[in-house]
Amino acid sequence: MEAFRDLAERLEARFAATGTDPWDRATFEEWALLVFAHQYESCSPYRALCDARGVTPQNVARWEDTPLVPATGFKHFDFMGEGSGPPEATFRTSGTTRGIGTRGRHHVPSLSLYRAALLPPLEAALLPDPGEMRMVSLIPSPEEAPDSSLSVMVGFAAEARASRIDWLVDTDGRWMSESASVLSEVASADEPILLLGTALAFVHALEGAGGLERGLPALPEGSRVMETGGFKGARREVSREELYLRISEQTGLPTHRIVNEYGMTELLSQLWEPVLAEGASATGVHVPAPWLRVRALDPSTLAPLGEGQDGILAFYDLANLGSVSHVLTEDVGSVTEGRVRLRGRAPGSEPRGCSRAMDELMSASSR
Amino acid sequence: MTSRSGDPVSSRRSPVASGGPIADTADVRLACERIRAAGPGLVARPWAEIAGVLGRVGARFRSDSDPLRTEALERLPEDAGLSVAMAREVLDGMSRDWTVDRLSRTVEADFEEPACLDGMSTVRGRHVMAIGPALCLQIVSGSVPGVGVNALLRSLLVKSPTLVKPGRGDIVLTELFARGLREADPQMAEALAVRYWPGGVEAQQRAALAAADVAVVYGSDETVADVRATAPATTRVVAYHHRIGVALIGREVLAPSQIDAVATDTARAVALFEQRGCVCPHVVYVESGGQLAGADFADCLASAFGALEEALPSVTLDAAEGAALQQLRGTAELHAATGAGFIRHGGGTAPWTVIYEEQADHAGPVTLARGVRVQEVDDASALAARLSPLGAHLQSVAYAGLEGRVPEVAESLGRAGASRVVPIDRVSFPPPWWLHDGRGPLRDLVRWVEVER
Repeated sequence: MEAFRDLAERLEARFAATGTDPWDRATFEEWALLVFAHQYESCSPYRALCDARGVTPQNVARWEDTPLVPATGFKHFDFMGEGSGPPEATFRTSGTTRGIGTRGRHHVPSLSLYRAALLPPLEAALLPDPGEMRMVSLIPSPEEAPDSSLSVMVGFAAEARASRIDWLVDTDGRWMSESASVLSEVASADEPILLLGTALAFVHALEGAGGLERGLPALPEGSRVMETGGFKGARREVSREELYLRISEQTGLPTHRIVNEYGMTELLSQLWEPVLAEGASATGVHVPAPWLRVRALDPSTLAPLGEGQDGILAFYDLANLGSVSHVLTEDVGSVTEGRVRLRGRAPGSEPRGCSRAMDELMSASSR
Repeated sequence: MTSRSGDPVSSRRSPVASGGPIADTADVRLACERIRAAGPGLVARPWAEIAGVLGRVGARFRSDSDPLRTEALERLPEDAGLSVAMAREVLDGMSRDWTVDRLSRTVEADFEEPACLDGMSTVRGRHVMAIGPALCLQIVSGSVPGVGVNALLRSLLVKSPTLVKPGRGDIVLTELFARGLREADPQMAEALAVRYWPGGVEAQQRAALAAADVAVVYGSDETVADVRATAPATTRVVAYHHRIGVALIGREVLAPSQIDAVATDTARAVALFEQRGCVCPHVVYVESGGQLAGADFADCLASAFGALEEALPSVTLDAAEGAALQQLRGTAELHAATGAGFIRHGGGTAPWTVIYEEQADHAGPVTLARGVRVQEVDDASALAARLSPLGAHLQSVAYAGLEGRVPEVAESLGRAGASRVVPIDRVSFPPPWWLHDGRGPLRDLVRWVEVER
């Protein structure tokens, strides 16, 4: 078996070499099966699952046939390769939308592989033109939040492409005292900026948090916004359309300069809305990194669904080399020509009945 | 959900099942004014007469030839997301309580001297009268059909003009009952309005709360907190928040001659309302030391679920529910593969799922849709300590076996938070006079006036 470090280095080199060029089926398959063999050999809970299913590197021919791990599994198991050394980071989920549960944990043995996997798609989606750009982040810095995969991602992006970055929000959601002056300064400069934040941070900004009395300022031409989901724990949810319209109103940027990122702690690769490159017609579409494959599966049988049919999204992420790659999420959406269209939970559709999961209640009461 | 970035929050409005349109704020205000005006007429009628009228309407849901029952059975499966057989089972179980006898008994159970609802009465030497709210708002969320009707019966029995906001999957029965009341007694029907709006739509809820003297809310902790936060100081809030049930199988019945019957009862208790009810057991605790063990019971329970698909078929889950179920099963499979129990389930054809856990690990996966966990407990007397972290969320404990130990076990479970200890074959449909979450359902609604001499 190839050691983790060797495989990780080869993958990194490959990510760097291909950038966002698509990988053909054979290339992806070859890598996916290598990665599967590594995870089978090195990650004991995953191996136990595979053995229980009778799936081994010797008898599996297609990546789709490798056992899926539910995202919830990250709450209960440490998916760590033996022999890959102590993790360089452990990313944690922020809890759940349905309540406070145990937080999931994703051990990352190589931050350098994470960096290599996230940068090319991020740059294509947010910074398609060469050169540096000033950044303002409503996401806490990686120093503030080293266990947030999102913070670390923004940190890597800044390191690679920011002429300067200002972090306006800390890990408890508190705004830095200089927030208003930073934003008025960038607004009055000629230089375009990249403003990054979660949906919730934008809602707060629009409503005047952090001393932003008039909300967000008008941003210089050429600026763009990265928004990523995240209303967890918030009492009020705003529709995405409404949020984008309000951001657009205050910043003066058209809504197709607001780029949505779709990612999760359990996956080290991301999906991006290609609106900067393709314009407003790409709204609501997410393009996965080339080393990330997405399928929509039947909610009852987990059988793969046809193009455009809504199902549960399952991912195979080669960047997850150090944990498990084949992950079943709770997100619902469809896949067309490799691109994903997410379907949100219907508002007002609280879980049916007056019953609730016991583990959530247990953990909520022990906080 | 475990997504970090989560989902772009959608603005799409889920279609209201087969129910009526969404009420706007003006409509809610108007309805409140109208029913409040009907209050004096309602108050003037003796409680027994009110119970009589309501019982006659309720009986129509039990009469095979009655068009109300026919329509209810037609519309309920789609409205509530239940199979035809399950919808019938739920309607029969719920409407059993909607009779003159049982409604009268409910009043008598809560009021030592029911005449106190009709005027000043002497109760234990005190000269008192019980007064229902001049306007009672009943906010029902969730989709257990019949809860909306139970709610309106309670407030009408204490002579309170009632506005019901039914749960999304409970619109049909609530509206049909209101229609039945209009046909039976148009004057009394003036005191009842049914309006639907999706949970969390603030304007309608605020308008209704502002108009109500008492607001009763049945729903999640979040819904309850939201209602409390938006209710004016002068509107009293009576809350039924999240509750869950568990089952306790005593060693007496863990014998080959009895285990199948108990497993069948347990499967029915889990399956009724498709695990959406607060009475549904989420975890089955099996006492050690019987002839058969917890693992055997889990196997029998799996067989019982399989058989139940014939009698009370489940429905296909929607994508979000299916996604949650797959997380549950996948995680249980991981636990099983790493040697901590096993999982049996109905595969892609049925959502039932039995998870047997060797360790008492409450951080285990979520149960839903005929999903249940089975764990062992050394002795029934030890269960209370296991459940005490659930505290405020514990409700029904359904039991089998135990025999003479019931009172003692009930005492400890009660102190741990349980409000109902009940044989497992009766857990699904509590009687209307049950101490709902530990309180008298009608007493909770009234205020008292006393003449001191």
